[in-house]
Amino acid sequence: MTNYVMEAKNVYKTYCVKGEEKQDIKIVEAVKDVSLQIRKGDIKLIFGPSGSGKSTFLRCMAMLDIPDKGEIYLGDQCLTKPGVDLNKARARIGFVFQHIYLFRHLTALGNVELALRQVLRLPKEEARRRALDALAEVKVTECVSKYPSQMSGGQAQRVGIARALARNPDIILLDEPTSALDPELTGEVIDTLRDLAKEGTTMLIVSHEMPFAKEVAEEMIFYDEGRIIEIGPPSLFFNAPNTDRAKQFMTRIINKTTR
Amino acid sequence: MVLAVEQQLIFILEGVPYTLSISLISFLVGIVIGLPLAFIRSYEKDISFVVDWYEKIFRGVPEIVLLLLFFFGLGAFFPFPFYNAFFVSCLVLGLRSGANQSQIFRGAIHGVGDEQMIAGQSIGLSKWRGVWHIMIPQVFTFSTPGLGSEYALLIKDSAYVYVIGLLEIMTRANQVRINTTDMVAPFIFAAIVYIILTFPIAFWLDRWGNRRKKKIGL
Repeated sequence: MTNYVMEAKNVYKTYCVKGEEKQDIKIVEAVKDVSLQIRKGDIKLIFGPSGSGKSTFLRCMAMLDIPDKGEIYLGDQCLTKPGVDLNKARARIGFVFQHIYLFRHLTALGNVELALRQVLRLPKEEARRRALDALAEVKVTECVSKYPSQMSGGQAQRVGIARALARNPDIILLDEPTSALDPELTGEVIDTLRDLAKEGTTMLIVSHEMPFAKEVAEEMIFYDEGRIIEIGPPSLFFNAPNTDRAKQFMTRIINKTTR
Repeated sequence: MVLAVEQQLIFILEGVPYTLSISLISFLVGIVIGLPLAFIRSYEKDISFVVDWYEKIFRGVPEIVLLLLFFFGLGAFFPFPFYNAFFVSCLVLGLRSGANQSQIFRGAIHGVGDEQMIAGQSIGLSKWRGVWHIMIPQVFTFSTPGLGSEYALLIKDSAYVYVIGLLEIMTRANQVRINTTDMVAPFIFAAIVYIILTFPIAFWLDRWGNRRKKKIGL
């Protein structure tokens, strides 16, 4: 029995990017020998330059991208072994996308209900009740019967969080949940995440929201060029990171937010 | 046998139920064939060559050839069910429409986008349940007005079945021509009936599609 909700062991992932011309194929090493352990109730935050592979790593954790090498564990179950029912495993992992990706043909309620009805196979009433609870938890009850196109970005992302939350996953992975939103809308999403943090939800978040990180994260992970460069509590990063690269990055990002 | 003008028109109009039922049934057959083909083409690259060949054959061979081949050719060996003009008409037009619709749906799948499928996977849906619950409802919206013109095409193509003697609008108009030696009026009348049949359905499908697109924000 492991103590970890989720664990990545020496994960590698490369992918090809096609350039303008056919011969231009660039191989991107997005994840190079990354290991990470997450305990129940942990809130960890991954940050680092764009294009460094943070999102790819997060998608590997959810097995939305299959790692080339290495192992992903969900509790005791190794997800990277052949023959594992990945759909069942993914049902236990909540995922929130940067660009939200709500199901456009369904209302907020329909978006949240779908997994409850079709994956967990709950009876209609119970699914509805739990979906409404989840929507209330992220404070978007006014959107219950709205379609994604009728919501603001902040409302849509909170519905996205409710969709991930409603089936009580073991962990929620959030891929830059606020970076596609207008600055004035990030606040409401951050508030929602803060509430989840208070309730002890296990979360792995890719984000550059530094004040939020300082407040809720137990551990921050500086990620660059496909590797974890430095891990430590927020105080480490805000005072004196050990590595030069983390130092540079923190200086830049703090200047940007105070300007 | 020379009938009064009124009776001749009624005789032609009695072909409308045949024309409508052939085009409706073959449209549905086309959906049943085209939708899976489009998803195989998009998500099962290993066997998508089957779809390629299917489309090549049924888009490349004229309907008249297929109608005669199925009706007389297959009908000679398997009188049941092939020596039945109605069955063969629906089958041939449906097979051809399936090839067309496969391409319409493929464009729509591309339009809906992979992200919707990935979001479906992220909540624990399997690939094919994602297709059912997430893709198909959106694919139909994206497929208009393509589906509208496909239906109009089927109404028009149903005229080909006069070669196997099914009594739809075209066959009847031709018979009136033979009986009355009027070379013009029966065909002009048939043409008007075809326009009346094609226009509203394509128009309605188009409008339905636009409303749905608005609703889901496209």
